[in-house]
Amino acid sequence: MDKKYSVYICTGCGIGDALDIKGLCGVPEEEGVPVKTHSFLCGKEGVEVIKKDITDEGVNTIVIGACSRRVNYDIFKFDGCIVDRVNLREQVVWSHPRSKYPVVTEEQKEDGIHFDSLQMLAEDYLKMGMVKVEKIDLPEPYQVETFTRKILVIGGGVAGISAALDAAKAGYEVTIVEKEASLGGYAAKLRKQLPMANPYDGLISPIIEEKIKEAEANSNITVKTKTVVARIAGQPGEFVVTLKKPGEKIEFDVPFPLPEEMKFDESGKEFDVEKQFELYQEYNKGKLDILQLDPNGEKFGAVILAAGWRPYTPEGDELGYLGLGKITDVVTNHQFEEIAAKGKIVRPSDGKEAKSVVFIQGPGKGDDSDFDFTGSVTSLVALKQAKYVCDDYPDGMAQIIYQHMRTPGLWENFYKSIQQEEGIFLTKGDVVSVAQSGGGIAVEADNTLLGEKIQLNADMVVLATGMVPATADDPVVNLAYRQGPGFREIDLFDGYCDSNFICFPYETQRTGIYAAGGVRRSMTIEETVEDAAGAALKAIQCIESVNRGVSVHPRSGDMTFPDFFFQRCTQCKRCTEECPFGALDDDEKGTPKPNPTRCRRCGTCMGACPERIIGFADYNVDSIGSMVKAIGVPSEDDYEEPPFRILGLVCENDALPALDIAGMNRLAYSSQVRFIPVRCLGSVNVIWIKDALAQGMDGAFLLGCKHGDDYQCHFVKGSELASIRMEKIGDALEALALEKERVTQFDIAIDEYDKLPEMIDNFVKMIVELGPNPFKGF
Amino acid sequence: MADKYLVEPDVNFVKEIVRLGGGDVKKCFQCATCSVVCPISPDNKPFPRKEMIAAQWGLKDKLVSNLDIWLCHQCGDCSTQCPRGANPGDVLGAVRSYAISEYAVPKWLAKAVNDPGKLPVLLLIPVVIFVVLGYITGLMNFSPGGEEIVHSNFFSSWLVDLIFVPLTVWVIAVFAMGLNRFIKDMHESAVREGKTDKSRVDLAGFLQALVRILPTILKHNKFTECGENKDRATAHLMVFYAFIGLFIVTNIFFVVLYVFQIHGPYSQLNPVKWLANVSGIALVIGSILMIKNRLAKTTQSTSYKDWYLLGLVLGLGLTGMLTEMTRLAGAANLSYFMYFIHLVFVFNLFAFLPFSKLAHIVYRTVAMAYAEYANR
Repeated sequence: MDKKYSVYICTGCGIGDALDIKGLCGVPEEEGVPVKTHSFLCGKEGVEVIKKDITDEGVNTIVIGACSRRVNYDIFKFDGCIVDRVNLREQVVWSHPRSKYPVVTEEQKEDGIHFDSLQMLAEDYLKMGMVKVEKIDLPEPYQVETFTRKILVIGGGVAGISAALDAAKAGYEVTIVEKEASLGGYAAKLRKQLPMANPYDGLISPIIEEKIKEAEANSNITVKTKTVVARIAGQPGEFVVTLKKPGEKIEFDVPFPLPEEMKFDESGKEFDVEKQFELYQEYNKGKLDILQLDPNGEKFGAVILAAGWRPYTPEGDELGYLGLGKITDVVTNHQFEEIAAKGKIVRPSDGKEAKSVVFIQGPGKGDDSDFDFTGSVTSLVALKQAKYVCDDYPDGMAQIIYQHMRTPGLWENFYKSIQQEEGIFLTKGDVVSVAQSGGGIAVEADNTLLGEKIQLNADMVVLATGMVPATADDPVVNLAYRQGPGFREIDLFDGYCDSNFICFPYETQRTGIYAAGGVRRSMTIEETVEDAAGAALKAIQCIESVNRGVSVHPRSGDMTFPDFFFQRCTQCKRCTEECPFGALDDDEKGTPKPNPTRCRRCGTCMGACPERIIGFADYNVDSIGSMVKAIGVPSEDDYEEPPFRILGLVCENDALPALDIAGMNRLAYSSQVRFIPVRCLGSVNVIWIKDALAQGMDGAFLLGCKHGDDYQCHFVKGSELASIRMEKIGDALEALALEKERVTQFDIAIDEYDKLPEMIDNFVKMIVELGPNPFKGF
Repeated sequence: MADKYLVEPDVNFVKEIVRLGGGDVKKCFQCATCSVVCPISPDNKPFPRKEMIAAQWGLKDKLVSNLDIWLCHQCGDCSTQCPRGANPGDVLGAVRSYAISEYAVPKWLAKAVNDPGKLPVLLLIPVVIFVVLGYITGLMNFSPGGEEIVHSNFFSSWLVDLIFVPLTVWVIAVFAMGLNRFIKDMHESAVREGKTDKSRVDLAGFLQALVRILPTILKHNKFTECGENKDRATAHLMVFYAFIGLFIVTNIFFVVLYVFQIHGPYSQLNPVKWLANVSGIALVIGSILMIKNRLAKTTQSTSYKDWYLLGLVLGLGLTGMLTEMTRLAGAANLSYFMYFIHLVFVFNLFAFLPFSKLAHIVYRTVAMAYAEYANR
């Protein structure tokens, strides 16, 4: 498109008071770009000024120097126009008070000593905004070749059926695949279940029968029992799914990536690409490559993973000290439920009435934790099963020893009602031993609320073991993705398949695949039903986003997607390997095949690419690189003591809002830093930093989400990958005789805005101590 | 600390606590707010948190011999502050009531005293005894006549003492048996729970401790430390001193009668008579205040054991005063009738003292003395 530029500067919110607006207007004027100012640009009149130019003058490329782009985004939205927002408010005048950065007088202006830091900051940002719009284009939506709205639900338990019903009621066709012969899953194996509605105070009959009937009666739902997923190929909107009978071996079974150790020869040298592909084919003999689409495969738009959980099985003699596997009448909560579902609670050893039952909620041995894979549901189940004992026998006694009694929210009502049962006794305690004693079992516990080491005698003992997600054992989804059939690195979450539990529930690390129920965390039936609704909505959102050619999340509505300049690709595979979402599948030569609807538009591939051939319409190596180059770097030729210039690349997700909040709170920080927002630290290409230092900037830092086990990165791996890349750039700097401290990365959470000024100022102070970049002025 | 403790939950004990006024015991979730807010709980192993869980689990053995249940004055601060509405104050009251029955012999009598269904029988017992014994001995005269109303002409003082002197011996005997076990158990439990540094109970030391705590009891110091139920202290103090006053009066007149052979009725100018009148009025006002407090306080549970005692005390005071007033008014028959009823109340209060809530006068005193002795 032919760009017709125009710049608008708002003088409201203190901008006009603090800055020399005339001087600022000089920046676009020098380039021959028209500029207009308004004292209230976001007001009706102000916006009208811009709109008028669009219609009358044909302006289509707009730079708005006003507030942060995170506010008034709905007001400064002009269809068909490229718009960039230069943040003169939060990032300039609100965070750099004139009291600290005084205006220079006319005499001082040309003396080679004084300079107006604030004006320089504003002018730099305006220049950066202007060069950015020059380098970017309006995005065009990506359209899939074939498109379907059908939803695949894996798992026919309460989660799967609920999700299917929710999606079906919203008008979507759903297929449920269930590996067992009938629907229902674990929810169909219970005697009673926890309540589903207020007042949450008693047990109810399982709701699953009702749900099954409803699903079977719904014309939008197809049920396939005794069926599993052999592979899911393709991408959201056009997944190609091959189904099969459990245990069957077919050529469309998903191939597995070549294990790391098989990629090297005996001497430790890595095989070349062709050899590796050969080995990969050998390793997956009888299975077709992932890029081979099943011609008979069924098309689905999105997948809901509701594969559920299995009862925890202790390894070897793991729980032998608690009698499990040694004493017949010591059972897990799962086994106890089986007994309860059959009839009255009786002892497995002799079939006699079990009137006194001890429930053990934690592994004891001084360990404060609960058993693995447990949660509040385990506490609730213990309360439920304790009630069975009292329901079955008027003189029944259920004694619960817990480390944590977790009954969050309205479950407290359930706890209260169970507590009222005269035959139910609760104490916190640390179980020491479980042993056969006469005709019964003796349980010893320490540190109880009863104040001492206690012994309880029981007919039966129940251990509150956990719910292991199906994804801990098996990929389940069997994705025909180059990165592998399952979810990556979910060991960090004990096999639960979430990508970012707190920020993006239901979302897995694979776009278009949404998890619900026990596969996500241990949960009650009520929570599962609610969870299923969430996953169903996510699946629908995904399908409808694909249909519009926009990203799903977290950059919902983003119309851009990575564009590859394949002529220059060196088949290094970094993009394929580093993509946190497995969006790229390389072919036998190693050339990446993009799957745009799998992509979340984080730009990690762009940051990874050493050839810099990946970019987005409005965000690419050139656009950011040019912004870096637009930063003015004063040298000793300009001033006696020139100010320092430091580049700050800021993650848009948490760090940029934190920076804005700091501004809103009028927290002041150094004026020597120039910030550029980036989609994710993963998208930072090291060339930007090299460019910055090459043009004489004195340092650079990345500001992004926390990484590591408790990562907060919105794209899972971005900030971690960036930290590795920054480590490497440090080595390169040392080779140039530059201190590696000049480049660093900071972690920040959105609520840590108050720490930002200190963080920034300390870095600046450190750089000042190191002295200016020796390459300055060259 | 002792070796492991065998926990044997007793559902029936829990049910009994619920019946005796601790209906909210199961609501406790062991946050220990009660122990923190209690103004009179000691710092070392404070009550009533641990008593609450013991009660929930039905651990009778941990409660009946527990000295702390007697250190509690049912201030009510714990019940007011309890986030779960478990009313620890009421639970401890119920436990105390259970403990009284536990240490009283014979058990069936203790049961009867705490059973509203048995109330008519209990009231009938003295009536039968009075009439039968009066008839056999001829010490009761249904038509005393004469100018002056002299109650002993109707119900001979000999008859009174014939009944009440042995009754006193019996009450003392019942208490003695109970206390013997109580002190032993209480000490054992205190040693087991680490509440004392004493290994045995030394009588002299114990009595010295008793003397030391008497001012506290007489001044109701502990009671006035209470927050929530502070107003109860005044009423309790009135009733308490009324009983002391009446006890003194009874003893003086006993001596006057048997040593100086002077029969009543005595002159209203007699200072002993003043004491009697003041005490009688205090008893009536005090018990009415207590009843009023109970009725006004919806947060505190009031069970039969409480109404039984309050009814008796008020009845005792009222009939006593009415007996005197009707005598002064010259209503002979009414006065004699009142006197008879009065004696029925006296009998009930006195004979069933070791079984009713009133036994706290003995158990709490002993427990407080023990706590003082044991450095609790």
